[in-house]
Amino acid sequence: MIQQKIQKKDRFASRRQFLLPGSFLLISFLLMLLPLEGVVASVKAVLSYVFIPPIRASHETVKYAQDVHRTVRELLTVHQENQNLKQRMETAQLLIAQAENVMAENERLNTILDMGPQHRWTGQWARVAYREPTQWNTVIIDKGSDNGIRVRSAVLAVEKEQECLAGVVVEVADTTAKVLLVTDEDFSASVQIGQQQETGLLQGGGLMASRVKYIPLLANIVPGDKVYTASSSSIFPAGIVVGKVSAVRQDDSFQTALTVEIEPQMRAGAVKELFVITEENKK
Amino acid sequence: MMRAFLKLVVLFVLGTVCHWAGATFFLYLGLSVNLMLVFMTALCSVLPMRVGYTVAFLSGLFLDCFGTKLFGNNAFSFTVAACVVYSLRERFDFDSIFPQMLTVFGLTCLVGILNSILLFWFTANAMWPGIVSLLGGALIGTFTAPLIFWVVRRWWLGNSSKRS
Repeated sequence: MIQQKIQKKDRFASRRQFLLPGSFLLISFLLMLLPLEGVVASVKAVLSYVFIPPIRASHETVKYAQDVHRTVRELLTVHQENQNLKQRMETAQLLIAQAENVMAENERLNTILDMGPQHRWTGQWARVAYREPTQWNTVIIDKGSDNGIRVRSAVLAVEKEQECLAGVVVEVADTTAKVLLVTDEDFSASVQIGQQQETGLLQGGGLMASRVKYIPLLANIVPGDKVYTASSSSIFPAGIVVGKVSAVRQDDSFQTALTVEIEPQMRAGAVKELFVITEENKK
Repeated sequence: MMRAFLKLVVLFVLGTVCHWAGATFFLYLGLSVNLMLVFMTALCSVLPMRVGYTVAFLSGLFLDCFGTKLFGNNAFSFTVAACVVYSLRERFDFDSIFPQMLTVFGLTCLVGILNSILLFWFTANAMWPGIVSLLGGALIGTFTAPLIFWVVRRWWLGNSSKRS
């Protein structure tokens, strides 16, 4: 009798042993049967509140750790760059001293030869803050009238380690300004080409090549000649590189002047930093 | 009782974090590593049945939270895996490394195949990770098993690593 009772108890215990996994398997099966919306979505949302925070925390920790690693690496790089820049600054100091001597001598010679005074200019470096996707030839910079920038201020860029004409300021707000680049169809400037310093009018070409008009027919201009801003320009300082001649055309027999296509030095799509001339000092 | 519960919570959280880290890292190598399963196996080797099954079910639900096609398949396969661990516990000595590794390898393959079958059955989506991914993930789980078992047993059982 007692043995029967014990056997019965054991059987019950062994059945109970399978009750829990059986229930869990049944629940899982039912969850799989249900559509992902409604109840399942709610269960998922509740579970996400419980399970996701540690994952998110570890993700943030790893991100932070990665950033620390990157920051340390950057610090090491910056240290190296700092050393190089210090050396370049020392060289630049020497060059500045030489340049000052040259400028002083230039001024003295100008006075002796009774030539017009040279212009010197100062300005502001600005970053391209926004570029309208539909208007590639216009950029907005992060400096404005608060920094001394005015409408019609000349804008330069540095391309291939040489300063070049970038455009002109057309709109100014307190902290931003809109720059019309040399490649825009509405852009024009007085320029000089080649060794004979032929003067013409540069016009942006938009999607086409920029062109210089009103060059005399007999002017000796060949592809590769450098194009500079002319001293007759009221906006741009003279002698700034604009680009180089890419083609010379004489489109029809009635034409009285050459049309010169130029390749601007500044790459409109790649420009990131610009120098805006805010003051042109006569010295 | 409360202390044991807190210990379990800590181990569970550790498992979720390790699983996330392993899955993220090995994903780039094309391997489906399931460290949550290794944690679950290690926990089931030391926990009483009632708690072990619950942990396995919850671990599966945790993985199901990240799924988009089916909900409950991991809970199902993890519960099946827990059943296997409890049936093996009487025969295997989980204090030794070899049974730990063998169990984890077998269970990873079992869970991978079971999940693929369930997904195919319920959603008609072929989610087979590929034999290389499955076996590679199983091997990584196998080689991490001794460490995870050691951590779990050390944390759960204290200094004496032998199951009482």
